[in-house]
Amino acid sequence: MNVIQKSRTATPNPVKVVIEPRVTDRDPDKYERRLKRQNTILAVATPIVLILLWELAARGGIIDVRFFPPPSSIAVTGWELVENGMLPTALLVTIRTLLIGLVVGNVVGTVVGMAMGLVRPLRAAFDPLLSGLYTVPKLAVLPLFMLLLGLGEPPRIVVVAIGSFFIAWITMLEATMGVAHGYLETAESLELTRGQRLRRVLVPAVLPEYFVGLRIAVGNAVLLIVGVEFVMSSEGIGSLIWRSWQIFATERMYAGIVCVGLLGYVLTKLVTIAARVAVPWGPKSMKRRR
Amino acid sequence: MVENAARPVKAVIRNVSKVYRGRTDVPALDTVDAVVYEGEFLTIVGPSGCGKSTLLRMLDGLQRPSEGAVEITKASSDRPLTSMVFQDYSVYPWMSVFDNVALGLARSTLSKAEKAERVREWLDRMDLGKFESAYPMELSGGMLQRVAIARALVAEPEILLMDEPFAALDAQLRRRLQEELLEIVGNTGRTVVFVTHSLEEAILLGDRILVMSARPGRIVDSVDVPFPRPRDPELRTSPGFRDLEERLWTILKDHADHRV
Repeated sequence: MNVIQKSRTATPNPVKVVIEPRVTDRDPDKYERRLKRQNTILAVATPIVLILLWELAARGGIIDVRFFPPPSSIAVTGWELVENGMLPTALLVTIRTLLIGLVVGNVVGTVVGMAMGLVRPLRAAFDPLLSGLYTVPKLAVLPLFMLLLGLGEPPRIVVVAIGSFFIAWITMLEATMGVAHGYLETAESLELTRGQRLRRVLVPAVLPEYFVGLRIAVGNAVLLIVGVEFVMSSEGIGSLIWRSWQIFATERMYAGIVCVGLLGYVLTKLVTIAARVAVPWGPKSMKRRR
Repeated sequence: MVENAARPVKAVIRNVSKVYRGRTDVPALDTVDAVVYEGEFLTIVGPSGCGKSTLLRMLDGLQRPSEGAVEITKASSDRPLTSMVFQDYSVYPWMSVFDNVALGLARSTLSKAEKAERVREWLDRMDLGKFESAYPMELSGGMLQRVAIARALVAEPEILLMDEPFAALDAQLRRRLQEELLEIVGNTGRTVVFVTHSLEEAILLGDRILVMSARPGRIVDSVDVPFPRPRDPELRTSPGFRDLEERLWTILKDHADHRV
């Protein structure tokens, strides 16, 4: 359709353009099922193929096994670390720090962001300050919190919380200010109380963006916690990776890296599922795309 | 529908059905048969959700039927077969008015100068000459639709498709644009398929009106509009016009779903 062909000569004989159903239009259900099956196969097969290639390359001596040990030996080492309890312990510590920091930072950031979105003086007062602080690398303030809070878990929590705060803050500020004027006017016209306006209109209106922010915050929190554990911790998965590298135990290092990857994947997945449940009216991007 | 053998046929819609799959299947069109004649201004009316837009979009190849087929006769290879004017959101905010209209010639082999000339010609005709470098943001709804119409017509499509192009406009603007369209398109013998839910609009602009039933849409009648062209907007006040409107309304009511 809508094609002006390159040739500028008129066609001698009129051509029939036929628009008829493709297979996919005749039986869209079957097509949909086929696409889903294809997606699953691709999602599972791609990592497997890549891992297999790595394995073969390592065994065939194409890549240096000191830096890239074959996946099978990483798996064996990983299993040993699970059995002797090192990996589960480290993972639990990391998850605890991460979740406390994430929840605290996210809640405070959400409240501050929405408040600033709603109240002009607050926005005027804090926007430049927070925007400035936003760009300060969170790891750069770690020494300060170590001075204040000691060497244990608290400074690690604070760094994750600060990182999570800023993402929630900026997301919710934008979301609150972006709520369609018509929604607010309707609420006003229906004479909803402040509380009703917040619960029935504002919160649902910003919910889709909240989850987008949360998804970003989760990934960011994993980055931060691993970074913090690298530099200052004797426990947690980041520390396990760092110490393994120092003693050149590459298999162990990789086992830790895989663990971090899985952690990020699972947490992000949980947020996606939560979003789908909490925002049934949400945009298509929240639902699973083909 | 009975084909009029004497008139050259531009497009045939044959046994077309469309079902939208979802949590529940929605039948949108039910074995629709229709013909678009060469050079006619065909309007399609029907209750909302009756599938009239779906039918129009099929003519543009944007959607495919679930059953049946649409056949269009392509006469020329240097003009687009169809161009659509959408109800909304079709003028890109990131392009100037000129560039938006020029996009209609994006696939044309005309030289740059020829293209610019044709774009300016259409901008003038749509009374947009002074706004060629403006961004859509700065334009009113009526002007935006004029941009969309100019963009559809600048490449001289064999069939102009219009999907409730004035539905989002206020009543006065709507009337003005109807009148402009009457001048630019209606009285020039172009092939146009125009979907609307306004009977008045359908009569004023159309040579023939297809009336569709409520979902799933079927064609329940094809009504010839007897008024000669060129038509004057004053036509609206004539008794014949009102009678025809009444007649169409009766047909629509008889085939409407009961849950109004």
